[in-house]
Amino acid sequence: MTTNSNFLTRNRGILIFFVVMLLAPFLIGLLEGSSPAVVLANEGGLSKFLEGLGIEIFILAIFALSFDLLFGITGLLSFGHAMFFAVAAYLTGIALKTLQLPFWQVTLLVLLAAIVQALLFSIVLPRVKGITFTLVSLGLASVFHIIVMSSDMINLTGADVGLQGVPTPAFINPASERFRFYVIALIFLVATYIFYRRFVASPTGRVCVAIRENEDRAKMLGYSTTTFKVVAMIISSITASIAGMLHALYQPIISPTVADLGFTVTALLIVLIGGVGTLSGAIVGAFGFRLLDFTLRRFLGESASFVTGSVYVIFVLFVPYGIIGTLRLEKLSTRAGWKELFSRIRGNA
Amino acid sequence: MTARETIIETQNLSKHFGGLAAVDDVSIKIETGTLHAIIGPNGAGKTTFFNLLSGNLKPTTGKVFYKGQDITGKPIYRMIHMGIGRSFQITNIFPNLTVHENIRLASQAMEDKNFRFLMDTTKMQTVEERTAIVIEKVGLSRQADIPARVLPHGDQRKLELGIILAPDPELLLLDEPTAGMATDQVPELITLIQEVQQSDDKTVILVEHNMNVVMKVSDRITVMHQGKILAEGTPAEIAANHEVQTAYLGGLYDLNT
Ligand SMILES: Nc1ncnc2c1ncn2[C@@H]1O[C@H](COP(=O)(O)OP(=O)(O)OP(=O)(O)O)[C@@H](O)[C@H]1O
Ligand SMILES: [Mg+2]
Repeated sequence: MTTNSNFLTRNRGILIFFVVMLLAPFLIGLLEGSSPAVVLANEGGLSKFLEGLGIEIFILAIFALSFDLLFGITGLLSFGHAMFFAVAAYLTGIALKTLQLPFWQVTLLVLLAAIVQALLFSIVLPRVKGITFTLVSLGLASVFHIIVMSSDMINLTGADVGLQGVPTPAFINPASERFRFYVIALIFLVATYIFYRRFVASPTGRVCVAIRENEDRAKMLGYSTTTFKVVAMIISSITASIAGMLHALYQPIISPTVADLGFTVTALLIVLIGGVGTLSGAIVGAFGFRLLDFTLRRFLGESASFVTGSVYVIFVLFVPYGIIGTLRLEKLSTRAGWKELFSRIRGNA
Repeated sequence: MTARETIIETQNLSKHFGGLAAVDDVSIKIETGTLHAIIGPNGAGKTTFFNLLSGNLKPTTGKVFYKGQDITGKPIYRMIHMGIGRSFQITNIFPNLTVHENIRLASQAMEDKNFRFLMDTTKMQTVEERTAIVIEKVGLSRQADIPARVLPHGDQRKLELGIILAPDPELLLLDEPTAGMATDQVPELITLIQEVQQSDDKTVILVEHNMNVVMKVSDRITVMHQGKILAEGTPAEIAANHEVQTAYLGGLYDLNT
C-alpha cells in the first residue's frame, strides 16, 4: 500500500517520537523496579510522576504549535493567544462544575467558543496589520483576563484564586487514569503535528506562508488574504482550545495566569527556542522550556525564574533560529537570524 | 488600422496627494492586443496611474472601466481573476521563497482548490506544469530552487515578470520592467515581453524610460507630464510632436539623429 508507506516515511520523525514517548513510562518503570502491569495500573511512583510532567509538556507543545501556526507560518504575532487556551480551560471547568453538562456537550461548547473567538479576532484582522494587530490582540485578551479576575465572577472563575474542584470524568481522571490521560495527550499532540505539517504543505498553507513573506504581493497574486488568515486563526484557536481543555482536565486548579500575557510569552519563548515556523521546534521547545524550568526550580527554588529568564534571553540572542532552525541551516548565523526575527515581529505592515 | 475593442478605459481619473494632483483628469482608451507605452519625466504620475488601474490606489475622482465594466474600487485580489496582472517598478517578490515557489504561488492563485487544506500542493499538476513553463520562459530554470533574495537584480526583474505571466492575464501592466537592469540584459527581456504580447494577442501597458526601446516596440505611446496627458499617438507622431519635443523628449531622444 503506497499511501500507507508514504504516510510512514513522511512522518517518520514524529512517529518515532510517538513510540518512544509511549514506551517511556514502561522503561522508567523498569528502572524504578515497577513491572509494566504496575505502570499500566498507575501504581508506579516515578513513572507516574514523570507521566504527569509529560502531560504538561504535551499540552504546552500543542499550545506552542497553535502559536507557531499563526506567528511562524502566517506571520501574525498575537499577544492575545493565551485567551484561546484560557477560554477553553475556564469553559471546561465551568461547564463541568457549575453547569454539570455531559462531557460531549462540554467539548462542543469549547469548539464553538474557539470558532467564535477566532471570528472575533477576524473582525480586526483586515483592519490592522503588523504590530497594531499584536496590540489589538493583547487588548482583547486583557479584557478576558480582567473578567476572569474580577471579584464579581468569583463563583464562576474563582477570580485570582483560580477555579478549583472541577470534576473530571472518571475515564480520564488524571489521578486514577494517569497513563490513559498521558496517551490521550500524546495522541492529540502527534495528531496536531501531523495535521499541521499537512496544512503547511497544502495550497492553503502555502498561501499563509506567502502572507507572512509579503502580504501585499499575495493579495495581488489574487488571494483574498484575510480569508486565509481567518482560516489559520480558526485552526489555531481550535488547537489552543484543545490544549486548554486538556489543561483544565489535568490540573486540580485552573489558575488565571493562563489568561495573562505571560502565558502567551511562554508560547513565544517555546517557539523561539525551538525555531520559529518549524513546527517541530514547538515540540522541542516545549520539552526544553519545561525541563529547564523544572530542573532549575528543583535546585534553586523560587529564584529559578530569574535564571531561566536569563537563559532564554541569552539563548535567543545567540541562537535566533532556535534549535530546529539552526539544525536545518547546519550552521549558526546569528546576524541573519536577528534580521529575520525582527522583520517577523514588525510584520509586513 | 481597423478600430479594435477597448480593453481598459479611464474617465476623468484623478489622484490627489494633499495638494498635489499626481494624476490629473486622465481619460484614456487602450485597444485590445496592442503594446501601449506610457512615458514621461520622473514624477509625471505614471506609477500612480498604474496604481489606479490595478486597484492599489483608489482614485480621488473618476472611473476605470475594464472591458466596459466599472472596476473602480474593486479589491486588489479580484484584479488578476478578471485578467489584469501588474508588475512593479521596485521589485515586489517573495524574497525568502524559492524562484519556483514564487511562480508556483502565482499559478496556484488561478485554481479553485486553494482552500483544500489537506491536499498536497505538489499534486496540483496543472499548477506545476504551468510553473515549469513560465520559469523556462523567463530563463530561470537553473535558479529554480534558490531563494529569490539571492538572485542578482536582473534575474529578480525576470522573476517579477514571471509572476505576472504565470496567471496568464489578458492585460499586463508593466512598470519599468527593466529598471536597474544591466544594459545588455534589457533587449532579452523586452523581446520576451514582445513575444508574449504578440503570440497570445495580449495587451501590454508599458512604462519605460529607454526611448529607443519605446520607439521600437510600441504600437501607441501616451506621454504624461505633471499628471496630465500631454500627447498620444504612434511612435512617429510622438517623435514629431513639437510640444513633446520641448517638454520632454528634447534632450533625450531625437528621431533625426
Ligand atoms: N503615496 C504618495 N504620497 C504622496 N505623494 C506621492 C505618493 N506617490 C506618488 N507621489 C507623488 O506623485 C507624483 C507622481 O509620482 P509617480 O511615482 O506616479 O511618478 P512616476 O511618473 O512613476 O515617476 P518615476 O518615473 O520616477 O517612476 C510625484 O510627485 C510623487 O512624489
Ligand atoms: Mg514610477
